[in-house]
Amino acid sequence: MILPKFAYAKPKSIDETIELYTRYEGRACYLAGGTDIIPLAKQRLVAPDIVIDLKNIEGLKAIEKNDDFLIIGANTTIFDLKKYPLTKEYFRGFYESLDETSCETLQMRGTIGGNILQNTRCLFYNKSIEWRTARGFCFKMGGAVCNAVPKGNICFSNYCSDNAVSLITLSAELGFVSPKGERRINIEEIFSGNSIKPFNLEPGEILTRIYIPMKKNSGAYEKIRVRGSIDYPLINVAVALKDSGGDVSIGGVGPAPLSYHIDSVDENSVEALAQKAYSDVKTVANTVLTPSYRKRMAKVLVKRAIKRALQEVK
Amino acid sequence: MDTINVSFRINGEKATVDVKPYETLLETVRERLSLTGAKEACGLGACGACTVLLNGIPVRSCLILTAEAEGADIVTIEGMKQNGKLHPLQESFMKNGAVQCGFCTSGMILTAKAFLDRNKKPTRKDIVKAISSNVCRCTGYRKIVDAVEEAAQNMQS
Repeated sequence: MILPKFAYAKPKSIDETIELYTRYEGRACYLAGGTDIIPLAKQRLVAPDIVIDLKNIEGLKAIEKNDDFLIIGANTTIFDLKKYPLTKEYFRGFYESLDETSCETLQMRGTIGGNILQNTRCLFYNKSIEWRTARGFCFKMGGAVCNAVPKGNICFSNYCSDNAVSLITLSAELGFVSPKGERRINIEEIFSGNSIKPFNLEPGEILTRIYIPMKKNSGAYEKIRVRGSIDYPLINVAVALKDSGGDVSIGGVGPAPLSYHIDSVDENSVEALAQKAYSDVKTVANTVLTPSYRKRMAKVLVKRAIKRALQEVK
Repeated sequence: MDTINVSFRINGEKATVDVKPYETLLETVRERLSLTGAKEACGLGACGACTVLLNGIPVRSCLILTAEAEGADIVTIEGMKQNGKLHPLQESFMKNGAVQCGFCTSGMILTAKAFLDRNKKPTRKDIVKAISSNVCRCTGYRKIVDAVEEAAQNMQS
């Protein structure tokens, strides 16, 4: 499959990157591992004038730790992060979501930053330009219809990051640099709730670091996919147990993960949470699995993940 | 659009190529360097037929811009043979009949090589997980796993 024409640059610093982005007036794409952006470019879902490679920027690939936070450079690959001993020891659910991301070869290339900032997906959106032209452009492509839901008046594409859900349960924060300056926000604040443009990001903003509070907890991650060796989640659940309760996040459905907190993990509370998840999850026919199956699995995965996380405590 | 001059080592030899900025490593190795062992199947990074080793790490060459490979050390299936002798993985793939149509084979062998380089004593389960990055449409996985298992033993002795 042939890529569209674009220029390529590999700046050495964040300042240089932002200068390039500004010079191209935003008609630029950032490239880290390329496991997501290159397929999108091949399908003409992104068509930048320039691809700016972030891999030469110093410091973005380091994992550091202080008393309060584990600080992960956004260019750290999923595989390196998975193999970092503290990840498994401290954040079991996060370790599992890293391990379940796609396949190992792609984990070695794909980065944690790219995984968090991946675009939403839909059975009728992630297609070749020829297919999409024949079908007619949908909301997410700038058209006026939804190709998944007849007469639907919004975009229903799904945010399919494996790791964002587990990072939400860990109350992770994200550090950004943009032409306007630096900021550090809670991961949940990046989601706009609109599948057409899923993130609240400034133009040219670069994700630099992920901060995870250094609180050891037990957790688990559950995911439904068609092929066990690869594939994005079609629905996923992450759990992190804290004190007597826990945080739960559900992704792969709609523009942003849902998140919940329960004060107790006794049978009744878990059942009530699973039931709530079942009613909250709004699945539509935009993946290879049926909406009713994905909806029912929300309930099953919540219970399964909490059960596994509890077994780990024993 | 301007071309980019990229230098790297491929199968032990230095190579310098002028490439388009939007050219993939797979296009470069197949079309400019005539190393056609790496295949294009899905072109979207799902199947692994285009796998090459980049600094010892298996990568989907269809998802990598050649410009990103500046200064890298690349190994393709053509570079597995050393001093006229096939790599133990290649030998055991032949011996175990782990090749059916052969389209996935180069990717399977390179993924398995990178895996055996970092795990000298793998269990069968480890092998299954490692090669699950690559898809075989003939579904001849069992013999592929047998072949990797045997190669791992041969490489130890």
